[in-house]
Amino acid sequence: MIWPFGKRALPGLDPASRARRAALSRQKTNLRQPLSTMRWCVVDIETGGLDAQHDPLLAIGAVAIEQGSIVFSPSFEVGLAQPHATKAANILIHGISGSEQRAGQAPHEALLAWLEFAQGAPRVAFHAAFDQAVLQREVRTRLGPLAGAPWFDAAVVAPLLFPDVAPHCSHLDDWLAHFGITVYARHGALADAFATAELWLVLLQAAQREDIRTAHQLLQLTRSRRWLSAD
Amino acid sequence: MNPAIPLANSLHRATADALRRQAPFSTMAEHELLWLVQHLSVSYFPHDAVLLEPVANPPEVLFIIKQGTVTGATAAGQTVLQLAAGEMFPLGALLAGRGAANRYLASTDTFCYLLPAADFHALLAKSTEFNDFCTRRIASLLEESQRAVQSEYALALDDESRFARPLASLIRRPPLSVAAATPLADALAAMETARVGSVVVTDAADQPIGILTLKDVLARVTLAKVPLVTAISAVMTPDPATLPAEAPVADALVMMARQGIHHIPLVEAGRLAGVVSEKDIFALRRLSVDGITSAIMRCADTVRLPALAHDIGDLAHSLLAQGMDAENLTAIISSLNDRLTERIITLESRADAALTGLHWCWLALGSEGRMEQTLATDQDNALIFDAADDVQRDALLAFALRVNNRLDACGFPLCKGGVMASNPKWCLPAAGWQQQFSQWIDHGSPEALLNASIFFDFRPLAGDAALALDLRAWLNRTASKNPRFLHQLAGNALRNRPPLGVVRDFVLSEDDAHPHTLDLKLNGATPFVDAARIFALAAGSPQTNTAKRLRAAAQALNLPDNELADWNRGFHFLQLLRLRHQHGQQRAGQPPDNHLDPDTLNPLDRRILKEALRQARKVQARLAMDYGL
Repeated sequence: MIWPFGKRALPGLDPASRARRAALSRQKTNLRQPLSTMRWCVVDIETGGLDAQHDPLLAIGAVAIEQGSIVFSPSFEVGLAQPHATKAANILIHGISGSEQRAGQAPHEALLAWLEFAQGAPRVAFHAAFDQAVLQREVRTRLGPLAGAPWFDAAVVAPLLFPDVAPHCSHLDDWLAHFGITVYARHGALADAFATAELWLVLLQAAQREDIRTAHQLLQLTRSRRWLSAD
Repeated sequence: MNPAIPLANSLHRATADALRRQAPFSTMAEHELLWLVQHLSVSYFPHDAVLLEPVANPPEVLFIIKQGTVTGATAAGQTVLQLAAGEMFPLGALLAGRGAANRYLASTDTFCYLLPAADFHALLAKSTEFNDFCTRRIASLLEESQRAVQSEYALALDDESRFARPLASLIRRPPLSVAAATPLADALAAMETARVGSVVVTDAADQPIGILTLKDVLARVTLAKVPLVTAISAVMTPDPATLPAEAPVADALVMMARQGIHHIPLVEAGRLAGVVSEKDIFALRRLSVDGITSAIMRCADTVRLPALAHDIGDLAHSLLAQGMDAENLTAIISSLNDRLTERIITLESRADAALTGLHWCWLALGSEGRMEQTLATDQDNALIFDAADDVQRDALLAFALRVNNRLDACGFPLCKGGVMASNPKWCLPAAGWQQQFSQWIDHGSPEALLNASIFFDFRPLAGDAALALDLRAWLNRTASKNPRFLHQLAGNALRNRPPLGVVRDFVLSEDDAHPHTLDLKLNGATPFVDAARIFALAAGSPQTNTAKRLRAAAQALNLPDNELADWNRGFHFLQLLRLRHQHGQQRAGQPPDNHLDPDTLNPLDRRILKEALRQARKVQARLAMDYGL
């Protein structure tokens, strides 16, 4: 096949997907809006293992926070079609059976849909580094290089805003339990994203109480604190 | 796939399942519920955050509490309601398109579902269940509760079923039987002597071979002009349907219904053991209003009345079990108790020569005066008379004492506060009552107001009703001309607040005698009763019944029908809870009272109880507004 895009070696995409990909590159992120009106995209993924570089991406679940509220519809839930079913051990964690894994959407379509859902909104996840690494890896290999939006890690922000609680909380479950947030079905990507979003609402309230007004300020806080703690 | 069901992901379905635990979502159709979920968002409100301010503009969203608690407070800061997971607000403001009346505060960290106002109205149009719930909130909750009560009691009735007992237990006397050759004249004479409605024809082995009933006699003997010397076998019904004596009563009922017969011979080892009639079976259900009324009216001896009073209680229990509403049930209990009291009064006065020529009237006071008696009722009565000298007055007191004691024997305990006709203070000539009432109206002391709340609900029960009606007319004229007194009554009534809690749902008693309970009478029903009395006195209405007083006052108060209906439903739900509570206690052999532990209620009844108490608050708010309190 002959690539129409000169030097950039893009994966082979059908024309419709190419048009969708082109539209994505126009998405912009503005981190200087007030926290209360910022659109956030809270995401959780399921993978075939804990190796961010190699284990396959199985499912993406995401919800948006708009005007301070978690929106139910649209919310995002997609399984990615797998060439081979992953090992039985992980199926126990995620509860996605082999047939469900294979029955998912084509990966490039699932990723396009994910990026269209997220738009330019900053991404939020718990232990975000893993989700970020897997999603960026998949986007790069399936869709080619695309400018991403900034990522926020609830697991980093929560201890900054609630230092007293932090020693007792390391997992998402600990934080949820601390704030009394009940989860319908943990370990589904969408259910976990929704629970993380509820935690994020609590954190946004706390941030505003600390006079943090924009996502930009919040990002600076996490960076400086990370730098300080690394020192 | 149903095309009406929108494309729903796991979050939508899980949320719908979570919502379904609460009314009205529990009864909404799947596609309506999913539609609702897809139009929701979730917001977080930390402790003390304001969710909604009382402003002029209609609210933009409906709040459904996901987790946490929210309190509603008036502009003056007074907490008026407490809402928990599954509850919605501000329904009234959204429906009416007006500003919310209350300030809503998160009393714990709270997550709420938000539904935009436009979607709320779309859902009202889309879902009849949701619409019904929102517009007839208390009504629909009540219906659900009523259904639950009925099925609960239906099960209980099946358990102890009267219809499961063996037919043999109904046999009251040896059966009347004759041989086939017996002349009709002899057989009919035997029926007359035994006072039975049927005769069984048996063979030599005492097996039933035929039956003749009085009903058969009319068509087959009298109208057919059959001579009475004819053998009974010529006109009997041959091979009658029989049942074994050990068969359950239900079998006889079914057989009678299917075959249209009224008598069934019972057999034991092939031999006639007895006859059951439809009447025997329905004697099990002899507890009917008419039955008890006529038994009371026929009763010539006061000694037999306590048994009839017991029947009134049994009837009340069985009507409660059949799901009768509180308004009718309390009216039936009151009217049967009236008949019983009347009967006692008739029997006691008829025999008393000292009373001849005197004009007097027995007054029912308090809950009996209002026709709102429950199963736990002590006596509140008084006597009014025309003119009497000291000797006659003593005769009236002696008569009243006999009536009071008879009533006590019938299960209406003597009034601990001495509010009884045998108390000289409450056995007065018409002028004495007017003087007494005037004194209370002018004085306005706490004791005077308390007495007014008991005595001003008086109603003539027996004797010369005109005496009572004249007093009523005089009282209404006097009270309605005394705004200061009505104002004091209102102030006094408002001191008794419905026990809706700030921290928990309900404010419960810390009193050692009844810990962790609320008083359904004092804190639940009484606010309605007190307000209705004041409305009625102000309007000069002769009604004494709370619901009727409220209905009569609605026009004067310019009260919309649906609000009036909610008030009355709230009141009657509290009355129903009292009845059910007392019923349960009596079944457990405990003396009935009004102290209910709300934790013993199912979640639905708890919510209705809250709603009913909220209605009590609304009635009080109306009273406060009218009297500037």
